[in-house]
Amino acid sequence: MTESTIQPDSMIEMIKVSKVYPPDVKALSSISLSIDRGEMFFLIGMSGAGKTTLLKLLCNMETPTNGLIEVAGHQIHQLKGAKLAKIRQKIGVAYQDFKLLDNRTVAENIAISMEVSYKKPTIIKKRVRDLLDQLLLSDKHDTMAGELSRGEQQRVALARAVANSPTLILVDEPTGNLDSTTTARVMNLLNKCNHAGATIIIATHDESIYRNSQHRILELREGKIFSLQGGSPS
Amino acid sequence: MNFWFAVLRQAGRNLRQTWPSQIMTLLTVGLSVLLFALFFLIYQNMLNVGDKLGDDLRLIVYLQEEPGPEMQEQLRRKITNFDEVEQIKFISKEDAYKRFSEQLGDDRDVLDDLPTDFLPASIEVTPKKNLRSLAQVQLFSEYLNKLPGTIKVQYGQEWVERFFYFTKLVSLVVVLSGSLLILTSIFKVAHTIRLTIINRQAELELLKLVGATNNYIRTPFLMEGLLQGLLGALAGIAALYLIYTWIKLKFSGPGLLHLFDFTFFNGPTIFTIIVISITLCAVGSYTSIQKFLRK
Ligand SMILES: Nc1ncnc2c1ncn2[C@@H]1O[C@H](COP(=O)(O)OP(=O)(O)OP(=O)(O)O)[C@@H](O)[C@H]1O
Ligand SMILES: [Mg+2]
Repeated sequence: MTESTIQPDSMIEMIKVSKVYPPDVKALSSISLSIDRGEMFFLIGMSGAGKTTLLKLLCNMETPTNGLIEVAGHQIHQLKGAKLAKIRQKIGVAYQDFKLLDNRTVAENIAISMEVSYKKPTIIKKRVRDLLDQLLLSDKHDTMAGELSRGEQQRVALARAVANSPTLILVDEPTGNLDSTTTARVMNLLNKCNHAGATIIIATHDESIYRNSQHRILELREGKIFSLQGGSPS
Repeated sequence: MNFWFAVLRQAGRNLRQTWPSQIMTLLTVGLSVLLFALFFLIYQNMLNVGDKLGDDLRLIVYLQEEPGPEMQEQLRRKITNFDEVEQIKFISKEDAYKRFSEQLGDDRDVLDDLPTDFLPASIEVTPKKNLRSLAQVQLFSEYLNKLPGTIKVQYGQEWVERFFYFTKLVSLVVVLSGSLLILTSIFKVAHTIRLTIINRQAELELLKLVGATNNYIRTPFLMEGLLQGLLGALAGIAALYLIYTWIKLKFSGPGLLHLFDFTFFNGPTIFTIIVISITLCAVGSYTSIQKFLRK
């Protein structure tokens, strides 16, 4: 049973989710949360609060110790093989540690997410150039990812996450190493994706990107929901 | 079409990154194919020789008394009880005498003083012309020896036995080198692909995360295995063909090899060897990649 029985237009449903890393690190406890399709959602909290863990649960990089998680109507942790692959193609993730392939060019790194869903090479090329333009990286097209600065790598990771036009975008610390101009570019791109219909969850320490937003902000403290403010999920 | 484009691109990347170990694998596979094919070729040619020699193979059963028609029928039944045979021919004492005198030609007058029934009657049994009957010719002769009224059974005992043991030896070597082929190709290919996988762990993990299907990840490695098997087999057989022509050239002219036709494999056999090699290498790569995917 993987079809949603809860809310048809919610992208994410979490019910009493906990995560304990072995041996006994309680990263998340009893998180219940519902995020609508098309919503932009901020996840904040001190270092070690559990933001990354929550995102990893959503993309099935980690399995929850307890509780139920539904992504786009699927209990993502019960999916396997081709079904899991298919839903992962619809989830773009910009990892906190980037996970770039150091010995591949920037263009190749971004292309990977599109290659696995068999996009045409011409379309891939065009999309890569377009994204590099938006993120002020046009001149890095053929640079090896390993030779980039951290700020540049961060943007390449983001470009890869959004390249395949996923319906759910998970972004972990997208602006940690960036100046304000570049940060604005990054947020621009994410807003664009959001307007195009993507659900976006951003985990961040950077107050400047969520301070004046209309979106909901969830604060985690020691693995629990401390506060949920803003927005009006109607 | 996009799938195969992606697969080929990925396989190309694999080759570019690990070509030294790929070449080593190719050599190993080629060498084991060569070894196996060499012994198999020898074996096959020995079978041909065996067939030729088998043409002359005949067991002669000398009888105490001339069998009447009823007895003949009974003997015939008993002989075919043991095995299918090509031919059973009864030679009466008189026939034997005639034959003998024909063989003597001009000297036949030495027989003048002897009675025409001094030679024993006999049965000529020609076994089926295959290696199996060659292998059990001794058993057959023992069996015939126990038939009622048998004095003695004769056949070219010496060479038949020697030849048979030699064929057995070669077939053993064929089996051994065949197992060697199986082991080396599966393990060497599996090992190389495991190396590639370790080399590209980060990338393969990432591919899984961005939603690559198992087929997307697996197929390039399978192709690599197939290619190793195909090229290895072709190289091995080509090398064997060179050796074969060299031997033929070297030993042409009168000699042992001229007693029989030394022949190379026919098309279907070559095809089978290639298919086997490809299958083994594919199995090797499949097990490696499956181990990774199951994690
Ligand atoms: N793989 C792991 N094994 C064990 N413990 C882990 C693992 N990953 C995270 N943790 C622990 O779980 C807790 C939450 O970690 P998490 O990475 O989710 O925090 P975070 O909010 O993303 O922090 P930051 O802002 O520094 O990125 C921390 O105490 C961390 O040490
Ligand atoms: Mg984190």
